[in-house]
Amino acid sequence: MNNLLKYGVIFYILISCSACSVAPWERGNLARRDMSITPNPARSSLRSHVFDSKEASAGGAGAVGGGCGCN
Amino acid sequence: MRYIVIVVFLMVSYTPVKAIEINEQAVSCPATVGVEKIPLNLQQYKGKVVYLDFWATWCPPCKKSMPFLNTLRNELQGQGFEIIAINVDEKSGEASDFLKKYPVDYLTAMDPKGVCPQLYDVMAMPSAYFIGRKGKIRYIHLGFKERDEAEIRQRVLELLAEQ
Repeated sequence: MNNLLKYGVIFYILISCSACSVAPWERGNLARRDMSITPNPARSSLRSHVFDSKEASAGGAGAVGGGCGCN
Repeated sequence: MRYIVIVVFLMVSYTPVKAIEINEQAVSCPATVGVEKIPLNLQQYKGKVVYLDFWATWCPPCKKSMPFLNTLRNELQGQGFEIIAINVDEKSGEASDFLKKYPVDYLTAMDPKGVCPQLYDVMAMPSAYFIGRKGKIRYIHLGFKERDEAEIRQRVLELLAEQ
């Protein structure tokens, strides 16, 4: 019974986490610029361009190739 | 026994929310107006068509809707139309600063604790509740795009035509 209770509590904690949602009116922090995946799009684009040009022979940042095995 | 425990925990975890629906009476909520924090009283607008708008400064479409709403309100105010905006920023100061920079003529109430959007079960930002002359919610409009302007105007005019 003790084990059952223990697992029950763990299960409850786990499902409690999944039940938490951010309401539409509580997204002020998530809407902040520094919370975005690319907070500075211009810098990200420049870095991606530099990376692509340096690593072009290996396909750059993406997985490109025609399936011939030669990149 | 194990299944009973699981079912009980699932039932405990479920928190039902009573969402406000169309044709239900608009409820009052603890938003406040101005630095004096005067409680918002929706009852005093009975007999008018009210556009209850939930907005925040971090919400670009909310800000985009404001010039249109201000124009609409000023145009139709004489026919008994009013806009009440409820700001849901956690820091109401941000909204006050924004409104100083970009003032609107309609009433803006503050609800930093987010009780009003919870009562109205706001599903998106911005959300607008069209309240008819009898104090009932008649339409709910989610979001705002420029192409929504004609529809919003039409809905308001329809409600204004009702007695």
